[in-house]
Amino acid sequence: MEDAGHATQILTAHAAGLAGCTSCGKVHPGGAARCLRCGTPLSPPDGRSLQKVWAWLIAGLIVYIPANVFPMLQTTNLGRTTDNTIVGGVVDLAEHGDYGVAVIVFVASVVIPLGKFAAIAYLALSISRTVRLNADRRHVLFVIVEFIGRWSMIDVFVVAILSSLVTLDFTATVKPGIAAVSFALSVAFTMVSALSFDPRLIWDVEYPPRAKGSET
Amino acid sequence: MSDSRPGDMEIERRKPSFWRNLSLAWLIPIAALLVTLFVAWQTWLDRGQTIEISFENAGGIVAGETTLRYRDVIVGNVESVAFVPDLSSVVVTARLDRTIADSLPEDAQFWVVRPEVSTSGVSGLTTVLSGVYLEADFEPSPGAAFDRFTGREDAPLVEPGAVGTRITLRAIDAGQLSVGAPIFHKGIEVGKIERPELLFTRDGVVFDAFIREPYDELLTSATRFWLTSGLSLSLGTGGLDVSVGSLANVVRGGLTFDTVFSGGEPIMEGQVFELYENEDSARSSAFEDPFENTVEMSVEFEESVSGLAQGSAVTLRGVRIGTVAAINARVRETDERREVRLRATLSIDPGRIGLPADVGEEGVIDFFSEAVRNGLRARLGLQSMFSQSLVVELVNLPDPEPAALVTLPDTPPLIPSVESELPDIGATAEGLLTRIDNLPVEELLDQTISTLATIESFVADDALRDAPGEFVALLADARGVVGSDEVQALPGEISGVVTDLRAVTETLRQAETVANLVEALNSVQTAAQSVTDFAGDISGAAGEFTDLITRLNALTEKANQLEIEEFLASARELLDSADALIDTEEARAIPQSVTAALDEARGALEELREGGAVENVNAATASAQEAADAIRDAVETLPDLSVRLQRLVREAERVVASYGSESTFSRETLNSLREVQAAAEALSKLARAIERNPNSLLFGR
Repeated sequence: MEDAGHATQILTAHAAGLAGCTSCGKVHPGGAARCLRCGTPLSPPDGRSLQKVWAWLIAGLIVYIPANVFPMLQTTNLGRTTDNTIVGGVVDLAEHGDYGVAVIVFVASVVIPLGKFAAIAYLALSISRTVRLNADRRHVLFVIVEFIGRWSMIDVFVVAILSSLVTLDFTATVKPGIAAVSFALSVAFTMVSALSFDPRLIWDVEYPPRAKGSET
Repeated sequence: MSDSRPGDMEIERRKPSFWRNLSLAWLIPIAALLVTLFVAWQTWLDRGQTIEISFENAGGIVAGETTLRYRDVIVGNVESVAFVPDLSSVVVTARLDRTIADSLPEDAQFWVVRPEVSTSGVSGLTTVLSGVYLEADFEPSPGAAFDRFTGREDAPLVEPGAVGTRITLRAIDAGQLSVGAPIFHKGIEVGKIERPELLFTRDGVVFDAFIREPYDELLTSATRFWLTSGLSLSLGTGGLDVSVGSLANVVRGGLTFDTVFSGGEPIMEGQVFELYENEDSARSSAFEDPFENTVEMSVEFEESVSGLAQGSAVTLRGVRIGTVAAINARVRETDERREVRLRATLSIDPGRIGLPADVGEEGVIDFFSEAVRNGLRARLGLQSMFSQSLVVELVNLPDPEPAALVTLPDTPPLIPSVESELPDIGATAEGLLTRIDNLPVEELLDQTISTLATIESFVADDALRDAPGEFVALLADARGVVGSDEVQALPGEISGVVTDLRAVTETLRQAETVANLVEALNSVQTAAQSVTDFAGDISGAAGEFTDLITRLNALTEKANQLEIEEFLASARELLDSADALIDTEEARAIPQSVTAALDEARGALEELREGGAVENVNAATASAQEAADAIRDAVETLPDLSVRLQRLVREAERVVASYGSESTFSRETLNSLREVQAAAEALSKLARAIERNPNSLLFGR
């Protein structure tokens, strides 16, 4: 199909000087400011959205640092207070033999966020042609990133549930640390970053829009 | 193909300005960065400051878990536990709140709180679950910020932040006290004692005690401390009284204090008190210990004052009147040279001298200046014969060099001193030892041993052992002699003779037949003849008797003169002789002869009575006269005999008395001798009666 597409010279909306609404999909002529149907502001797929992606991504990366450095959980067990960072917690779990849980936590807290960072950065870079990637592959990657995004809050959920459930005062208390907030922010920032990514750009790169006035 | 439109120009599009194209979204990472940096900075600030505390051992301290608390609030956390390079102690690094760390003074105390069960209760129980923690106690001093400390091994007994007065107690031994023992005042616990420490400078122990506010106001210089064991036993007229205090008091011991006299002065922190054994001694100490209203005097000595110390006694003719307050050396400038003199400052209690208590310093100085004029001098003296401790003696010398009390502007008045008469103890002791060494102890021992050996062999001698046996045998012999039938019978026979004689004379007296007189006279004539013969016999017997008595006399005299052994020997001899004598036929025959003679006389008289021949009266009278003469001759020896007998008895009595008045032997001997005496007296009477009136023998008058 791809090759067929190439052969038949698909005309994209952007190439045709049109702009589709991002929420309802109605196609408008190039200069339209708002969607006539749903009123969503229309913006042409350009570098601005990519800037947003980068901005949110960087913000997410910044807050991801304290999320790993500061303790995620402050566990007070019979008067002994232990602070656990994410990686420290994974190591503890692994040491206790809970490899399954350790793998889950490690994947959810480390692999997925880092993968997301990498994926978003890779997409953004591929848009600006620094990296070459097949458009369809890029699209699949984007779908994956969007899908995974909602699951990377699993850590935050665990911490929130633990701290609300385990408040046995002296014997056992779990308090969220600074890292929990940071991690939640990091996840949120990367989600926003992924949302800010305009998937139309994927195809723009493949099929660059014609110069103005070349059509008609 | 005519296309009027211009061809596409190759134009370079105006690039939008970088800043205009910049999205506002970039603010977000900037904000995130700022927030993150702020959090980091805040966290770094919150880390606080590290301090290092060294402990002998870090029992229970876990890096990262053990907390550090001040007034039971967590103010820090132990970061690491490490050894010092030479492994001699453990250094605990703890991170403290900055505010706390900034206020740590140099003498801040740190100790490990552990669960502890002791006689005073259970403490630190929470650490069983939470693990040990470090507790800090200090007086906050902002800005001090010391960061190296030495930790205590145990918690201070006084809880951190307690207010009160710390004092020092001094006791002979700490046997009845343990750490944390309570201090009572009228039964209320007002303080605690801390760990007793041995005093190396003198015998005893000292320990700190802490009296809590507000009870510390009760402490004055008149306060005395004594031991209360919690268990008291007293035995009085009311019976046995046992009172048991609280169990803790029994187990730990305790102290009680009270003010034992009025007028004490307030004390300083760290005041030293003596600890007394019991309440009595504590209360009585009030009358002996403190010197009041003391006036300072001083004495300078040229000789060595080694042995004199602060606290040494100052005596006035043997009575303690004060104490040596200080000893120091000072250089005195004289005209020619500088010399070092040792000056002792004396605290003298005027009350002890007998001066009124309010006499004041001037009064005391006046007293001493007058006393010095009268010969009072100070000198060093020995405290006791066997100690090297010195005392300052104030003595009145009979004829001293004139001197006066020297009043100096900046020092106490100076009492003139004289050279002491201290014997050189060292030399004396050495001499004594030498002399002891020279004593012929071994010789003496040898002699003693040989003497004892001699005594032993002497005592073991058979002869000595037999001596008492022989003595007993002797006495038994003597008793046998005296107890022999013959001797016993002798007095009886004599009395029998006398009775017979009395009966004869009675018969004679009662005879009324004058008619038979002639016959009788005839018979009398023959009887008189017989009597004459008999009288001759009597004379012979009397001679033998006299001989016996003479021997007895000689024996008695000898016995009197002899020592006891000789006496005993002689006594045995005497008794043997007496035995032998008494045993002789003749002696036995005496009574028989007398009896026979009297029988014959009686027979003669009977014949006379029966005869009745008056005509023969003249012849008979003549014969009778003759017979009477013969009798008188015979009888003349009788008084002599009786006198001798009496004398014998007296001698014998005396001998026997000297021998022993109470023994049976002497009593028996005495009795028999008395009977002999009685017999002698009867004989004497008979003789005298016959002498006075020989006719009575014939006519019964």
